[in-house]
Amino acid sequence: MASKVTRRQFLKISGAGLLLLSGCTANLQRPVWMEPYVRAPEETLPGEDFWFASTCRMCPAGCGILVRVSNGRARKIEGNPAHPLNQGRLCARGQAGLQLLYHPDRLRHVLKRTGERGQGRWGRTTWEQIVEELAQQIQGMAPERIAFLTGLLPDYQATLVARFLKGLGAPPAVVYDTQAAFDGRVVLEAASQALFDVPVLPIFDIARADVVYAFGSNFLETWLSPVVYNRAYGRMRSQPGVRGMLIAFAPRLSMTAANADRWVPVPPGTEGLVALALGKIIVDEGWDKSNAELRGFYEGVDVGAVAQATGVPAEELVQFARRFAEAHHPVAMPGDLLAGSTNGLEATQAVEALNLVLGHLGEHGAIFLTPSPPSRDLRKVPVSPFQAVRELVDRMAAGEVDALFVLGANPVYELPAALGFTDALKNVQLVVTFASMMDETAALSDIVLPAHTYLETWGYEFVSPSTDRLIVSAQQPVVRPLYDTRDPGDVLLALADKLGGKVARRLPWPNLVHFIQTRLTSLQLLEGNIAAQDAKTFWAYWLQHGGWWSKEQAWQVPEPSQNLSAKRLLVPSPEFDGEASQYPLHLLPVPSVTFGDGRHAGLPWLQETPDPMTTATWDTWVELNPATAERLGVKHDEIVKVTSPFGEIEAVVYVFPGIHPDVVAVPVGQGHSAMGRWAEGRGANVLRILAPRTVPSTGQLAWAATRVRVTKTGRRRVLPRLESNIGVDRARERGVVPG
Amino acid sequence: MSEREHRWTMVIDLDRCTGCQACVVACSVENNIPVVGEDEVRMGRAMHWIRIERYWEGEYPNVRARFIPVICQQCERAPCEPVCPVFATYHSEVEHVNIQVYNRCIGTRYCANNCPYIARVFNWFDPQFPEPLNEQLNPDVTVRRRGIMEKCTFCIQRIRRAEEMAEAERRPLGDGDVQPACVQSCPAEALVFGDVADPNSRVAKLVRSRRAFRLLEELGTEPNVIYLKGGEAHVG
Repeated sequence: MASKVTRRQFLKISGAGLLLLSGCTANLQRPVWMEPYVRAPEETLPGEDFWFASTCRMCPAGCGILVRVSNGRARKIEGNPAHPLNQGRLCARGQAGLQLLYHPDRLRHVLKRTGERGQGRWGRTTWEQIVEELAQQIQGMAPERIAFLTGLLPDYQATLVARFLKGLGAPPAVVYDTQAAFDGRVVLEAASQALFDVPVLPIFDIARADVVYAFGSNFLETWLSPVVYNRAYGRMRSQPGVRGMLIAFAPRLSMTAANADRWVPVPPGTEGLVALALGKIIVDEGWDKSNAELRGFYEGVDVGAVAQATGVPAEELVQFARRFAEAHHPVAMPGDLLAGSTNGLEATQAVEALNLVLGHLGEHGAIFLTPSPPSRDLRKVPVSPFQAVRELVDRMAAGEVDALFVLGANPVYELPAALGFTDALKNVQLVVTFASMMDETAALSDIVLPAHTYLETWGYEFVSPSTDRLIVSAQQPVVRPLYDTRDPGDVLLALADKLGGKVARRLPWPNLVHFIQTRLTSLQLLEGNIAAQDAKTFWAYWLQHGGWWSKEQAWQVPEPSQNLSAKRLLVPSPEFDGEASQYPLHLLPVPSVTFGDGRHAGLPWLQETPDPMTTATWDTWVELNPATAERLGVKHDEIVKVTSPFGEIEAVVYVFPGIHPDVVAVPVGQGHSAMGRWAEGRGANVLRILAPRTVPSTGQLAWAATRVRVTKTGRRRVLPRLESNIGVDRARERGVVPG
Repeated sequence: MSEREHRWTMVIDLDRCTGCQACVVACSVENNIPVVGEDEVRMGRAMHWIRIERYWEGEYPNVRARFIPVICQQCERAPCEPVCPVFATYHSEVEHVNIQVYNRCIGTRYCANNCPYIARVFNWFDPQFPEPLNEQLNPDVTVRRRGIMEKCTFCIQRIRRAEEMAEAERRPLGDGDVQPACVQSCPAEALVFGDVADPNSRVAKLVRSRRAFRLLEELGTEPNVIYLKGGEAHVG
């Protein structure tokens, strides 16, 4: 561990705090230590559990965790009950974090390619040598020819990368991963900007809403902060005297839609139209008493045309609109699927506008906005749109990038193949990947820098979207690093030190802990869950409690933008790649509750966890409406080919009653050619065949805008699923095993 | 050790359960449940102690899916108990929990055949934890070998630990002191655990709900897992 504060010192600091509190320092002449002469390794007392507060990094949400450590080993990850984000709760992915730490196929040493790229021949080297070598290489390059591609990193890493690049004079990092595209972060921020003049993520207080309309949303599965929304959903259902109601408008019965009181199937990309029609009816029927100036929103909206386009009868639209307008605390939330459509920004605005016209802003159960960080030091690095990745790939292909550093992302796996990232990589002289496992991108790199997992390192996260509090979550190592790995942040600090000059001035800290401590100094003065007189005590409390959070409510009440009165909401028809005659079906890639965007497919616990809707495990399937399956002449467990204009995959049919007949859904996550023994060579990667289509207004990837055709292969593979398949001795009855 | 009788009960609110699978993973982590792999899952040999069953209702477009988490129902009159030839499964009179003693079990699988809830899982093979994956194992829970039957224990190790802590601190066990792994993780707070023998506990209040029912109640197994019916709402 790179820290100057050891655990023993930490305990002393906390102890000193206690002494001060108890007021007996005056009598104490000199310290008395009661310790055996034989010292056990720090933090281990046989049979005794230690609990460390930290932050979950299995997705970008930033839930607080408590890790049980006994005999120096992490045994269980639980939610931190004191943490205001998840309040002691944790999702399936968060629970499985231990297997990231103890995965047998983790990278253990610095690797340098010895054969051709991608051949898998590696030599070992030391950290000192590789830092020296990288510093030399960087010094020999023009800074504008150095590029960083990172996923949604924890704040401490993102900030260090940004400062490193600024010091070098290199262009800022492209911050993009598929999880961010599924969340639609850039779309949500753009919508907030358009409606409320601030580019931040919205928070929907569904826990206290009596009617929730979810448009194309999977907020209970992977969207932004699933634990928060699951908790809020549970509370929404049992408020004192009220059972909140949820209605879902979407082409597929997702797990979220399955929990709705009513699922209204609509064709992909038309959810925004429904929202427009509801708004139009609300305005026309005069429910919008206080907001007459917003009537221009719905000028020219034709409810009959929406009914036609969506298949939802006009009289039902009227009933939905009235139900929403009559509610005391209605809230309309846009979701991931909107962000995947070409009209994502307009649709998101149309949905959020429903919250405006009825004038419930600022009341509980409504829409709120994520507050700004409590200090400049904690500012977040903005997420880049897909367009930025496209530009990077173009520069790589044109030979304008000499060195590419990849951190917290796996572009070879997660980008649409048609974008040409893998080909463009060939024109880059030096490819360096930070990774804890050999993923697809690391396998095509020149240098692989093995990274700590989040359970072995320090960090902080300004939580966004948050709840009603400001939260700066703490991350600390819970076990000693298992192997010769380093935190990418520490590697950058070492590199900066070696490079000297401007970079070193931008990154003057000897290690991560020093850097993080400087970020926290401003927090000490603010009123929150912890109060300390000096920085060291604050640091100790911050680690002990798992972070700092404000005492008072801190979410922003949205203020409608001044420009709205002249605004007209228009939701253009969605566009799709592929000729309808050749590719008759819409492809819906579904982010997975277990693998997210595919990054956790290596973990066996998650591989064996059934998908909530199909109960399938270990494989990739294609969800087909029963009518569509019948038309294609396919049944459960038949292998089909899914062909888009950009490629094809094969997967097993699951006849899915809850999907629009024009839509096929394929889960994201499998189809890895690397990432360890449990991920490799299983299922198919649907992300590869997506159209690399960028939405001009936001630069977002329209990941739900690809058309496909599905064809029989005549082959069969039984989908390993739980449904109709449970029990010790039932396999024979089902004819799975002969008998 | 206080021998006050506890009646440990789990309440599962189907109106809150979203089907998110957090409980499934939490249980696997806490109870050292082996991962059996693709082929074995295909044969119905997945070893989860808690599973979320998904039921389709209706046809497109008026289709619904319902989720029901199923665990060992900790029956008062458990059909699995009398068929065990070696008393590996028996009823604890103190906790009212159905206990499985691994080192008595000889693997006849009679109990699993007799369980109407299909709550029992069998180790057809020795579990594999390739190093260093073995470090993840919970030291409080035995790793079961090939030929052993297992099932949900209501996290008996957590019950014991909470009792010991209360004893050491000379206080009665409080409501909420015992939280099985699934209950603790449940993001929607659909699962509630406690002692119905304590009339002021949360579960004691919840089991009196009008929505309360038991799975396959007509069999007379008297489960200690109580479900709360999912709400209905109609639009338009």
